[in-house]
Amino acid sequence: MKQNIFSARVTACAAVALLAALSGAGAQQGVQSERRITAISDDATRSVVIEQLSLAKESGLPAGAMEPLMAKAMEGVAKKASSKSIRSAMDALQKRLRKANDLLAPSPTAEELSAGADALYVGVPEKTLKQMRQAAPRRSIAVELGVLTELVARSVPAAKASKMVLDLMAHGATGAQLTAMNTAVQSDVAAGLTPEAALDRHGRGIMSLLPPPPAVTGANHR
Amino acid sequence: MIDDRDELIERVARSLSPLPPNNSRAKAQILAAVRARRARAPRPWTVVLDWMRQPAFSVASAGLLAAAALAIGFVTRGALATLNEPQAPLASSAGATPANPNVTAIPAANTPAVVRAVPVPITFDSPGAKSVAIVGDFNDWDGTAAPLTRFGTNGPWTATVKVMPGRHLYAFMVDGKLVVDPRAPHARDLDYGTDASVLMVNTP
Amino acid sequence: MNEIDPSVPLRAKRGEEKAFIEIVDFYYPRCLRFARNMLSNDQDAEEAVQDAFVRVHHSFPRFREDARFDPWLFRILANRCRTLLSRGRRHRALIEYGEVPITAAAPEEEYGADWAEEVRVVLDTLPAEQREAFLLRHVEDLSYEDIAALTGVRLSALRMRVKRACDTLRARLTEVEQHDR
Repeated sequence: MKQNIFSARVTACAAVALLAALSGAGAQQGVQSERRITAISDDATRSVVIEQLSLAKESGLPAGAMEPLMAKAMEGVAKKASSKSIRSAMDALQKRLRKANDLLAPSPTAEELSAGADALYVGVPEKTLKQMRQAAPRRSIAVELGVLTELVARSVPAAKASKMVLDLMAHGATGAQLTAMNTAVQSDVAAGLTPEAALDRHGRGIMSLLPPPPAVTGANHR
Repeated sequence: MIDDRDELIERVARSLSPLPPNNSRAKAQILAAVRARRARAPRPWTVVLDWMRQPAFSVASAGLLAAAALAIGFVTRGALATLNEPQAPLASSAGATPANPNVTAIPAANTPAVVRAVPVPITFDSPGAKSVAIVGDFNDWDGTAAPLTRFGTNGPWTATVKVMPGRHLYAFMVDGKLVVDPRAPHARDLDYGTDASVLMVNTP
Repeated sequence: MNEIDPSVPLRAKRGEEKAFIEIVDFYYPRCLRFARNMLSNDQDAEEAVQDAFVRVHHSFPRFREDARFDPWLFRILANRCRTLLSRGRRHRALIEYGEVPITAAAPEEEYGADWAEEVRVVLDTLPAEQREAFLLRHVEDLSYEDIAALTGVRLSALRMRVKRACDTLRARLTEVEQHDR
């Protein structure tokens, strides 16, 4: 028992150092992460979580990717998933985060990485992420990615949803407008409209309120 | 003095007088809105901590952080080192290389605005529950991080949580069991084969 | 008029959340009644009331300890209602919304739902300042002095507003009654 507790503390400390180094957040976040990892009662699960986080670091995943990975692990713990499921989930997420990191370069935020990974998960095409980054190189597109993910998750065909979101971004639609559109689409779908028809209706509605996009520059999506 | 109050005006007043019945949900929303507004008021250390959550920063903003850190006497890792280095020009859209190679700074693609967490009021109905917490990707699904409190003895449960703008998955932990929010859209989680609720948070 | 114990707003002013909850519990029905009568729309009314309580909470540092709470609260609420009105968000239809049914009580049973509806129709046609003055005086039972203080309107002008509102109500509703006979 003592040995188990000791080895748990050693591996937890390794995880603290790992997380603190990657996040740059210093003592506070490291302590919270240590507490969460130490609190995992199942030894196998705790080992899997630390192993996957270390693998992520070694494979060069950026610091911002650690938060969603940790969240995925803790989600599994909260849902009482097996260590095998947690390993599989974290492994799959790592791959998506790596891909999102490439597509949303340079240097996406943690929220963009997480949102990008979710978008890829539901089937948003990779090139859409690239185009969204090009459309907004200087600000976070986590909200836009979230809206696109929701639309596709509600069965709007990915190509149509991608085109609509990109068009709206090119016209300068704000995150608030896109979120409102998403809510309206969901209400219509709940009321019986097809997802595509609902998106068409509300997307056009917002488009009609926006000015035409500026003349084509490098920042515009094609 | 009851002036102008003849019988007809009396009847009019009576027809407009019935009080609406008690609405615990509406009152709980008021409390949640008050707490959210209180949470929105920035305090110096939350500004610093929010900044620290950003993995990408420019050298110019690091200098600003260091100045703020000194002002409130809060030491942040790397900030003082950055302060001692000569200031580099503002980050360009292609990204900037920090002056101090020892600082693990990542060139910023998304400057200059810092995106902050938004206080979100949460309400959940569960009259028979003994404890309710909200868990999600914004708090590592930690059942102790955001407990809700009950309004009155049987009213709705409320809390305010700070969440970064974007799409989030969450659920409620009700007496130790995970429950989806019946009033929110659901997302099927293929990783763990369960449902979660979806929360969309806007940039304020 | 039923006013809350004066110690409660003082405790809320000092930051006691429990006291603020007592205030909301005590005043919510009256505030909602006033807002609904002013705005004729449940959703707007709930928004106005929620805004008002949030402002009350935020403005407690400015609440004078020797002042009465009722007029102060109703001043904030009346302002919120005026703001919503000026945004042109008045809708005529009264709809059921959530747990709060519109039709709720004895007077409508006594006089019929038709009468209540007629009253609302005529009330709606009053200019906002007359409607406000009428409701504060004859439904919320505030004194003219209190209403003058919270609206910033001179006493004489205020009395005139109430009188005009009563005259219009009298004329229109008497017409309705005669028509119905």
